[in-house]
Amino acid sequence: MKSVSRSRRTGLGALGLVAFVALWEISLRLGLLPGNLVPLPSAIPTVFWGEVVDGIWWEVVSSSLSHYSVGVAIGSLAGIAMGVAAALLPVFDALHAWLARLLRPIPPLAWIPFAIIWFGITPSAAAFIISIGVFWINYFASYSAVRAVDPGYDEVARAFGQGSLLARLTKVSLPAAAPGILGGLRAGLGQGWMTVVAAELFGIPGIGQRMMEASGLLATDIVVVYMLTIAALYALFDLGFLHLQKRLLIWTP
Amino acid sequence: MDTLTAERNADACVLKAHDLALGFGGQRVLEHVDLRLAPREFIAIVGASGVGKSTLLRALCGLLPAVAGERWLDESPRDGARPWSMVFQAPRLFPWRRIRANVALGLEGLGLSREERQRRALAPLELVGLGDMPERFPSTLSGGQQQRVGIARALAVKPRVLFMDEPFSALDAITRRRLQNELIDLRQRTEAAIVFVTHDIEEAVLLADRVMVLGGHQGGAPARVIDTLEITLPTDNRREHADFGAQVHHLETLIGAVPEAS
Ligand SMILES: Nc1ncnc2c1ncn2[C@@H]1O[C@H](COP(=O)(O)OP(=O)(O)OP(=O)(O)O)[C@@H](O)[C@H]1O
Ligand SMILES: [Mg+2]
Repeated sequence: MKSVSRSRRTGLGALGLVAFVALWEISLRLGLLPGNLVPLPSAIPTVFWGEVVDGIWWEVVSSSLSHYSVGVAIGSLAGIAMGVAAALLPVFDALHAWLARLLRPIPPLAWIPFAIIWFGITPSAAAFIISIGVFWINYFASYSAVRAVDPGYDEVARAFGQGSLLARLTKVSLPAAAPGILGGLRAGLGQGWMTVVAAELFGIPGIGQRMMEASGLLATDIVVVYMLTIAALYALFDLGFLHLQKRLLIWTP
Repeated sequence: MDTLTAERNADACVLKAHDLALGFGGQRVLEHVDLRLAPREFIAIVGASGVGKSTLLRALCGLLPAVAGERWLDESPRDGARPWSMVFQAPRLFPWRRIRANVALGLEGLGLSREERQRRALAPLELVGLGDMPERFPSTLSGGQQQRVGIARALAVKPRVLFMDEPFSALDAITRRRLQNELIDLRQRTEAAIVFVTHDIEEAVLLADRVMVLGGHQGGAPARVIDTLEITLPTDNRREHADFGAQVHHLETLIGAVPEAS
């Protein structure tokens, strides 16, 4: 297969996107697609602007963002802490290995009943649900990253008076495992958006709730506005994180 | 030479091993090792690949617990220094640290200020000829340069006993010759006793006061000390000395690298 140059790839990607939207628009205008089931792409910017002017867009986005950031922060911190601890402390690892295997397959949304019982219909409930998926991703990523660290580095640390658990953690385990831990963090940032909408479907204000309202009114254009909003927010966070990752890992060849 | 012999006789000692046995998982690799190392003494350990040289070094410094026997190293504290340090067979630099920070690793936790650590890391880097690249990352260095950083890292902590595991074997002949000369020179200026593993017999005769030969591990038996040889050449210009070749040859026959002289 012939490889495609970078600028050519960008051009082709843009072309594909534009063609898709154009095809969609034309099909609707020709009556090939039912207008009550899918919105007109050309109408989306106006609808988006309407949501912004009404103040609804910023209101739901900011409340979703707060669920998202609290959930991702808690899930990531707890996941990394538990994963690193399990990798470094064999007894702790063995103690909770079965428990982790038991809880791991339970999807975050299956925790909704408990979230409501424990937190009520509150932002904390949404943050809790978001944190669960993020937790597991970070837990396994940091566990395997720390486990994969060359034991030779630990020997070097011990040879140079850095053999205490704390010194080995900060001077060997964390920096050596940083690429894997950051990879988990990035995957968790994505996973957080996957659950944020679902976590808001049962009445907590946010993007998810607004989308449910819109679908009740068959306002498919509003639904699409928020789908694109999520895609844009994800891209923004991912880009920001990639930038940070590059700065933290300047030592990688 | 005379002062060294005197010191050893006066029972000054920085490292002792008595009837040391080493192994992994019930399998003995090395047995019956006895050793006494005087301050500033230089002992070379030679032997074939897989005989247990690296294993012995790790046991002598305390990184590897012995299966049997005793080992003692003078760990009495000194300001801004560590009792021992090691040049590993593979450089094992921390890829996430810059060169200077790699060299400063052992200086952390000694109560030195940040400036002091930076300064003390630079001197050994200059000694190994890498004073011009302290801010680079290890991945941008050649294998031989990385090995030299490993040497600088071990020198930085001013050890009482310096363990070196084939430190020059990855270097080109010119750099190796230069660092061998630096090491001979360094011995005049440091207090460190040196335990130096090599498979290069010439190098052992060139550098050491004593050479310990490991062997006898054929057929799966644990290796042992076959012989310990005093090198009686003057420290300066050994290579040019008339007896240099003879001592090298004698050692080679001991190891079995060449057949017994006819
Ligand atoms: N961690 C380990 N687990 C099990 N066996 C080991 C381990 N490390 C070394 N050995 C065994 O111990 C023996 C001695 O190994 P060692 O690395 O000390 O040899 P060496 O003399 O340093 O060899 P070389 O000159 O090739 O470096 C070998 O047979 C090796 O297989
Ligand atoms: Mg070895």
